[in-house]
Order: sequence, then structure tokens, then C-alpha cells
Amino acid sequence: MPASAREDRRPVLSRIDVIARGTWVLIGVLAGVYWVHQVLRGEAYERQAENNRLRRVPVTAPRGFILDRNGNVLAENEPSFTLLLYRRETKDLDASLRFVAELFNRSFDDLKRRVERDRSYYDFVPVVLQENLTISEVGAVQARSLEHPELVVQKTERRVYTQGAAAAHLLGHLGEATAEQVAARAKARPLDTNPPRPGEAIGQQGVESMYQELLAGVSGSRTYVIDSFGREVGESGHESPLPGNTLRLTIDLSLQKIAEDYFADKVGSVVALDPKTGEILALLSAPAYDPNFFTKRVSRSEWEDIVEDPDHPLNNRVLQNVYSPGSVWKPYMAYAILTHGIDPTERVFCQGGATFYGRFFRCHGRHGSVDLTTALQVSCDTYFYTMGKRLGIDAIAESAGLFGFGRPTGIDLAYEKSGIVPSPAWSLAARKHPWYIGETISVAIGQGPVLVTALQIARGMSGIANADGALPTPHLFHIGENVRTGERFVYRPESKESIPYPPGAHETIVEGLWRVVNMPGGTAYASRVPGLDLCGKTGSVQVVGQKEAKKGHLLPEKLRDHGWFASFAPKDDPKIVVVVFVEHGEHGATVAAPLAARLAEYWVAKSRGGKPELLAALAARPVGHARARAD
Amino acid sequence: MSRLAEILPRRIDLRILFLALALTAIGIAMVVSTTAGTPRGDLAGKQILFAVLGLIAAGVLLAIDYRILLQYSPGLYGFTLLVLLLLPIFGKRIVGAKSWLKVGGGFQLQPSEFARISIALLLAWILENDDRALLRSRTIWALAAAIGVPVILVMLQPDLGVALTYLPFLLTALFFGGLPRRWWAILIVSGTLAVGGSWFLLKDYQKDRIRTFLDPNLAARGAGYQVRQARIAIGSGGIFGKGWKRGTQSRLGFLPVRHTDFIFAALAEEWGFAGVAIFLALYGFLIAQGLALARDARDRGGAMLVLLLILNIAAQALVNVAMNVGVMPTTGITLPFVSYGGSSLVATWCMVGLILSVAYRRYVNV
Repeated sequence: MPASAREDRRPVLSRIDVIARGTWVLIGVLAGVYWVHQVLRGEAYERQAENNRLRRVPVTAPRGFILDRNGNVLAENEPSFTLLLYRRETKDLDASLRFVAELFNRSFDDLKRRVERDRSYYDFVPVVLQENLTISEVGAVQARSLEHPELVVQKTERRVYTQGAAAAHLLGHLGEATAEQVAARAKARPLDTNPPRPGEAIGQQGVESMYQELLAGVSGSRTYVIDSFGREVGESGHESPLPGNTLRLTIDLSLQKIAEDYFADKVGSVVALDPKTGEILALLSAPAYDPNFFTKRVSRSEWEDIVEDPDHPLNNRVLQNVYSPGSVWKPYMAYAILTHGIDPTERVFCQGGATFYGRFFRCHGRHGSVDLTTALQVSCDTYFYTMGKRLGIDAIAESAGLFGFGRPTGIDLAYEKSGIVPSPAWSLAARKHPWYIGETISVAIGQGPVLVTALQIARGMSGIANADGALPTPHLFHIGENVRTGERFVYRPESKESIPYPPGAHETIVEGLWRVVNMPGGTAYASRVPGLDLCGKTGSVQVVGQKEAKKGHLLPEKLRDHGWFASFAPKDDPKIVVVVFVEHGEHGATVAAPLAARLAEYWVAKSRGGKPELLAALAARPVGHARARAD
Repeated sequence: MSRLAEILPRRIDLRILFLALALTAIGIAMVVSTTAGTPRGDLAGKQILFAVLGLIAAGVLLAIDYRILLQYSPGLYGFTLLVLLLLPIFGKRIVGAKSWLKVGGGFQLQPSEFARISIALLLAWILENDDRALLRSRTIWALAAAIGVPVILVMLQPDLGVALTYLPFLLTALFFGGLPRRWWAILIVSGTLAVGGSWFLLKDYQKDRIRTFLDPNLAARGAGYQVRQARIAIGSGGIFGKGWKRGTQSRLGFLPVRHTDFIFAALAEEWGFAGVAIFLALYGFLIAQGLALARDARDRGGAMLVLLLILNIAAQALVNVAMNVGVMPTTGITLPFVSYGGSSLVATWCMVGLILSVAYRRYVNV
């Protein structure tokens, strides 16, 4: 090689030295970078790697059953199958959805929209495509699992309301927790270790909502090892859920069903309670809806049907609708009369009405000379107009307040209305004009601006039924039972309220109410039951003016009066208070009293240890309408 | 026989050989760890086969006098260019690049990997023919053209990663050939302009890689995902690692292209900083030994050939290690000896064979 002979290799050698040193420096720098990440920041990265690797999937606890007071199941759970779509494993979304659409006979676009709606979530969160699959549908999906690995059938639990619509309003229903509900609960209970998750089914109405924490139990979890596609490749641990507590309600299913049968073709409400404890024995609002409807995903049109129903089936009429009390107001007026120095034996002469402040106020009959008990028995308006004028609005409002009107009863259900007990102060605050003196006359017979709920009437009736005037807090919670330990806990809301009766006053009012049902001429005499000693007060509330009202049942239904009946039985040692309200029922005596009488009869028989056959026969006997009679 | 046994260890550089074997063994272990139990579980067996093929190829090249190869280098180079030119016609498209030739039995050949050998031989031959202290302009242009043409051909495939592995050749050739100062200035200015200008030629995914290099948290699930997951893999390895086949990031698939480009992150996850340090030391000794052999080469052509080859391996390795930890943008450059890939492994072993060949003939009296 002639070239190499001339070559001076020294520059090359020194350059090699530069590169050799430079290489070690570079390696040192790189090692330093790895040192920083692996040694100095290693723990932080380890946590991130664990977060990558482990997925904690909450396992919803079995929800507690809801029973009636005798142990009949009102709400339970049943296994159900849900079809999920894992988007990460989906190769051809349209093909998957076409398969599902065909299998379930559903619209492809509908499914597509559902997937689109969930697009904002991480794609390893599955989309629920179909709930409540039948066994054959489960089989059909699983038969094609090789072709469609993205479709997974998940076993879940579904809430079942075994009595259908019978106890809809008091039970409520489950629904997906909205983001607002989650936030609101987190705010109200910041230390809750088991808060609801968005999308989890929680109680949305009724006792399901009120006793959500008690029924829900404590969620468990399963921790899965997942790969980068979100596929579960193993399980690294699990925490069992703690099942929810069984909730036994104060409701008696038989009473509830008698009421439901009766209201099958009517609109209105029923509430029955134990006047001593406030335990609600029956609570019904008609029309009802089937709470099972909400357990499946509700389509927009189904939802609109129920929301836009003119009878508002979602409303709980027992405590969310307010009405004029009409004549069922008179027992509370009687209390005001008895406690404001008026002699109950003083007589008023009724000739079909009287003139007050220059205006004629009509009575529905010509009752002649009536005292207080007779006025209650025949529901004489003239008597109460006269006494109302003498009492003045403030005395009326004060007595009404004692019986709990104008404020919530404190029942363990949400969205309870307060109603209105009118007074001059209320008029100025709410209506911005002074009280018209003539309104006092209307209020004296439960008309005018006074508004009440059926539940308030029932609670007030307890204060009349109880000789000591005790005014209980109505409630549905009877007994909670921990299903693991068998431990039972009872909650009975304390009520320190009671009505102070001057000597003889209680007996006078009860006597009047007893005569309503049990004396000829009483407005509910047609509904008397021998041996029951039912005491009550009928009422009807005018929907239209007097002239049209004369035509009675010839009016279109929407213009007919509402009918009330508020009652308790038996007269001494009362066991039950029943309030029945029938919208457009025309007369409380004809449509409301017969049901109240039957409920009271059933319950009193049961509490006296009646034979099951007898009770069954009583429950099965249809409740007819009573003969029409003016009240 | 006894005489051969006596002289072989002295003449065959055992250090280079054993270091290269050690790195190859580590590579096979990591390919096993990153693919075992997956649908690609057959890759480890293939990698062993490639290592054997590589050793055979190295033995063949050791047996041939490198001076003969240098003399024939223009012809070899011409053949290489022809193959690269024809590749767009006969090539097989894999992940969007026509870089592959079918060779039967389900195997493909990546000519651009083997092109490195003929490029190195040609450059060594050019440098041997200009042995003055500083290179003539003519030589500089010849060097630039010798690299520029295959770079352009490979970029057209398009395979930016492999094209980039040709660039260390140019720098090595100019640095050791001796480049006048004004040329360094021209090189730096034009290099800067080329880098700046190339931004407009880059494809969107390539731009994304550069953006995410600058900010790995840019999009956890998007373009920055690879860089972020690789860093989590490396960092979570800690000092002693999670153990072989126990890397959660790589075994559960969070680590992207874990048996090729990001195999070092898998190593760092399973063997920790201790493994990284040992591995880098092995590589350091390999490079140092290669440089030492270049000093001892009997002629300028041999020295230049060894330098070109060892620094090409070194540059690839260091860029890959830097890329894994996110201090350089993701470019698709593999880790020599370790990353899965037949063409790459065999070509690298061919380079080892050439280095051994130069070392074997370092004494003039052979």
C-alpha cells in the first residue's frame, strides 16, 4: 500500500482519543438521565405504572328489600342481564350495531346515537346497549362471541316492585344518579365513604330516595389487572360489598290493595295512619304508575307520555297536591269555637244561608235550629259562617296552626307541600293586599284561600281522635333489619305537639263526628258499619260556581266537585285515621266515605285479632258507592 | 490444530466478540420477555436464528481480507443502489413503507440495513485514496454524494429511521478524514438550514413526534402516549427492576413497539437502573474496544472502516437509549444487537465481522 507509507496517522489517533472520551461522557450523561428517572423519581413512576395496570371496578351491593309491616315483599331484586359494548375491542362499529339491532329488533340509528352519546367517556368504559336480556337473547349473543368479542353480557341485579303500581308513590323508584345529585350528596355529606357514583342507580322518589343510604349497603370492588387494551387479564383482589338493610314499612299491604282496587277508575288519594304512633298504614295516590317502568331505560316518548298525562300520575297527591278542605275543615273550626268562649249548646237558625257584610252566604240545606254537634252532623254552613264571623280570622288561623296546618307534617317523604292557613298577615305578605273581612266567612267552611294536603287533614284528625290531643308525626319507616347480623332497629319520630282540650271539648267534637256516620241525618250515615263506631266528616269542594253546581252529576267530570272524607275509628281508643279524597268525586259522602269505612272496618277487625278468613272476605268484598246525600 | 488454537485467540479480538455476544444474548432475553405468551411469541426463536445467521455472516467476512472488499466496494455500492432503486417496484409494503424484499419462508429482507455495510466500505475506500491531513474538496463532495444518494432513496421508501442511521457515516468520515475549518462552518450552517427546512417536508406524524418530544404530556392518549408510557416503564423499574418478564408496562402492552424501538425501556423496567448501568457499560467497552482496534489497524482504509462501523453502531445505540427516555425525538432507530429484527441483527453482526477482519489482519506480516 503505497498510500500508507506517506500517511501521518497522528491526527487520526488524537481524533480517536477525542471520540473515545466523548463516548464515555455521553454514556455517563445518559446514565445520569436514567438515574434521575429510575432512582430519584422512581416511586412516582411506579404509582403511574400501578394506575395503568390496575382497574378498580365497583361492585354495587345488593339493595335491601322493602317489606310491608307484615313482611310482604314490596321491592326486591332479581338477576338481570345487560348487554355491553366495549368500544376498544370494536373493529367495525356499524357491523356490531347491525347485529344488535337485528337481534333485539331495534333501530340501528337509536343504537348509534347511544354509542355517540357516550363517546366522551374513556373508550374502555363499556356502553350499555340493552338491558333485561332474556335467556335466549343471552344465548344468541354468546353464540356469536367469537365474531363479536366487543359484545359482553353482564350479570347484574334489577329492582323489582312486586306489587306493581300499588305502592308506587310511597316506594318511589330507582334511577341513574345524575351528576348534580352526586355533587349535592357529596356536599351534604362530605365524609361519606360510600357516595353514589354517576350513572349508578339510586333512589329517586319515595322511600327509595329517603332511605337510600340504609337500603344501598356499601359497595365493594374488584381490582382487575388490565392490559393496554383495557382487557381484563387477571384479578388482583376484591372487597365484598355489604348488602343493604331490609326496610320494613308501616304500610299494611291489604289496606293498600283495598284502596288501590277502589281507585282503579278514580283520581285522588288515600292516607290511613295509626293516630297514636303516626305509622302510615296505607298511602295511595291515583292514578299511579308502575315503578318497574323506571328500572329499564325509558325512551323519550314513553317518558313524555307519563309526564304529559293530564292526571299527572307522577305526583303524590297525598302530600304534593293542595286542595280546599271544604267541610272536613269544620272539626278544626269546632275546636276554635270551643276554645274561644262560645257555648257549644248555643243554637243558630239555618234557613239555607245567611247574610254577612252585605253578601248572602248560602248553605246547602235548611237545617233549622242547630247547635255545634248537630252542625257537624249535618254539616251546616250557616252555623259555621256565624261562628266564624264571631271568632275572626286570627282565632281560626291559630286553631288551624295547632292542628298542624300551614306547615309540613314531617313525613319521611320528600317534596311535601305546606298548604296555606290564611290570615291578614299572610294576605299582606303573599297577596300584597289587606284581608277582606268577607273571606273569614268562606274560611269558616274550608273555602276561600285555605289550602291543605290530605296528609295534613289526616294528621289533624289524629289530634281529634286522640283523647289526649297528641299530634303524631306521620312516618313510613317501621323497622330496619341488618341482613347479616339480624340486628333490628326501630325509628319512631318523636312528636311533642298535642292539642290542649278544655274539659268537655274533645267529647263534643267526637260526638259530632260520630253522629255524622252513626245518626240518621248524618252526612255519611249511608256508610255506617255496625259495631265500628266510625267517626268522620264529609266534605265537597266546589270546582265551579253555584249555578252550574246545581246540575250535579250532569256536569262534565272535570267540573264536578271534589269529595273528601276524613275519619277515625273506633270512637273510643281509636286505631286508625283514614282520609280519602276523590277528585271530581262530587260528594265525599258518596264516593269517599264508603272506602274509608271499609279500610277502618278491616283494620279494626285486624287489630282486634280477626280471623284471616274473615279479613280476606272483608278485603275481597267490593266497595260500592253510597247513596247520594248533600253535605 | 494446536498452532491454530494458539494463534486464534490472539488474532481474533475476543473482547469485541464476547461483548457483542453478551449484548446479543441480552437482546434475545429481552425479546423473549417482551413477546412470550403473546401472539408474537415466535419472535424469540427467530431472533436466535438471526443471531446464528449473523455469527455465520461475521465468520465469512472475517475469512475474507477486508482489502479485497475495499477494492470491490464501488461495485458493491453500485449493486446496493440498484437494489434500493428497484425496491419501490418489487418491495413488500410493511407498515406503510416499501422497505422489504421477500426471501421466502415467511422472512423478509430489509436491504437498507445491509446498505450500511457497502456504504461504509465505499467511504473507507474513498478516504484511503485521500490520505492528506485535510480532505480535498473533491473528496468531500464524493463522500457527501456517496451518503446522500442512499439517504434519499431510503427516505423515499419512506423509512426515516434507517436513513438517519446513515448520517453518522458522513460525520465520522469528515471528522477522521480531516475537514478544513471553512467546511465545518458550511456544514453547520447548511445542517441547521436543512433541519429547519425539513420541518416543512415532514409528514404530520413525524411533526407530532417532535412536538411530543418537546412536551410528552401534550396528549396522554394521543401522540405523546408512547413517550409517556416509555418513561413510566423506565421510571417504575427503580433501582433493581421488576424482574425478567415481570415488567407490567411491557407485559400488559402499555409500552409501544416494545420488542423493537422501545426494547431498552422494557429492559430498564425489568432490570432497573442496575441493569441499565451494566448494559451501558458493556456498550461503552464495546465502543472503546472498537476505537482501540481502529488505532491498531495496519492501514488507513482498515482504520477508517473500523471507525465508520463502530461509531455507526455507537451512534445508533446512544440515540436509541436517549430516545427511549425521551431526551431525543422518536425516530424509529433500533438498538443494535438488542432490538428484534433479522436484517438489523445480521447486518450488525456483518459489521462486527468486518471489524474482526481488520483486527485479525492488523499485523503486517500475516
